[in-house]
Amino acid sequence: MQTLPDADVAQEEKTAVADPWVTIVWNDPVNLMSYVTYVFESYFGHPRQKAERLMKQVHEQGRAVVSTGSLEAMEVDVQAMHGFGLWATLQRSGQ
Amino acid sequence: MRAFKRRRGMYAARLDTDERDVIAALVADVAELLGAGRLEARDPESVVVGDGNPRMRIEPLPPPSDPAVRRLLPDASRDDPQVAEEFRRLTEDDLRAGKIARLTSLWDALTTPTEGWRADAFVIAPQDAKDVAAAITDLRLVLAERLGIRTDEQAERLYDALLDSPQSEVEEVDEILDPAARRYLVAVYGALSWLQESLVDLLLHDLRAAGRPADQ
Repeated sequence: MQTLPDADVAQEEKTAVADPWVTIVWNDPVNLMSYVTYVFESYFGHPRQKAERLMKQVHEQGRAVVSTGSLEAMEVDVQAMHGFGLWATLQRSGQ
Repeated sequence: MRAFKRRRGMYAARLDTDERDVIAALVADVAELLGAGRLEARDPESVVVGDGNPRMRIEPLPPPSDPAVRRLLPDASRDDPQVAEEFRRLTEDDLRAGKIARLTSLWDALTTPTEGWRADAFVIAPQDAKDVAAAITDLRLVLAERLGIRTDEQAERLYDALLDSPQSEVEEVDEILDPAARRYLVAVYGALSWLQESLVDLLLHDLRAAGRPADQ
């Protein structure tokens, strides 16, 4: 299991400069909100509040950045999300 | 059908023979879509996929042509075909193998009675529950694709229709499925959603209890 710093928005922008890639999870009509929350808590090690905030962001805004880092690290995260049945993509941060 | 509950240190639901047969057949269908052949016909002694040696693909791998399979093995980029192609080349074989392995375990669990439990008990060890939840997700993703569920609103209407009257949902126009087939898939989708929710509730509860013994 990996952990991410529980960053606020300003921190997320700062790390975006240092970390060139991001993992995005997209909304879909199938996955249960509880399941998406479970994936964010169990895989990323997010505390409940942050996992639920990200889940709501996916549901209401259609997508959320769930991790940032190197291309290789994001490939690992995207593959894990696809394993769980969530639709994730990777892209350069700031795009 | 009864939802998952914690019993004797395990997660246990109840599925009668018909329910088991329906779900097991769907599990086998999805595994076949992913290239596993028919689970019913497999040799239990044989390794399911590949020889266990990871191989690096050199040539690009085209995306699956069946939209349901493509949803299980989605593109890793929406706007950069090179990123998507590279990701698929590096990861698709692993992802397929992982999904097939989980579906195979689920199929075995559905078709093998658990000793010491009543005949309709569907018993999952807590450490296997994550894989079962993920396998159920793959089943629901394929059903949703076949049912043409593309938006949250369509999914909501489907749940509402299931609650109100299983007949009304069939009013929706469907060019591929006849009403009986559609009604059947909707019922299976609804049952799996409900079953998965009860399993995920247990998983979340236990994950949080393990992580924060002091205050929550």
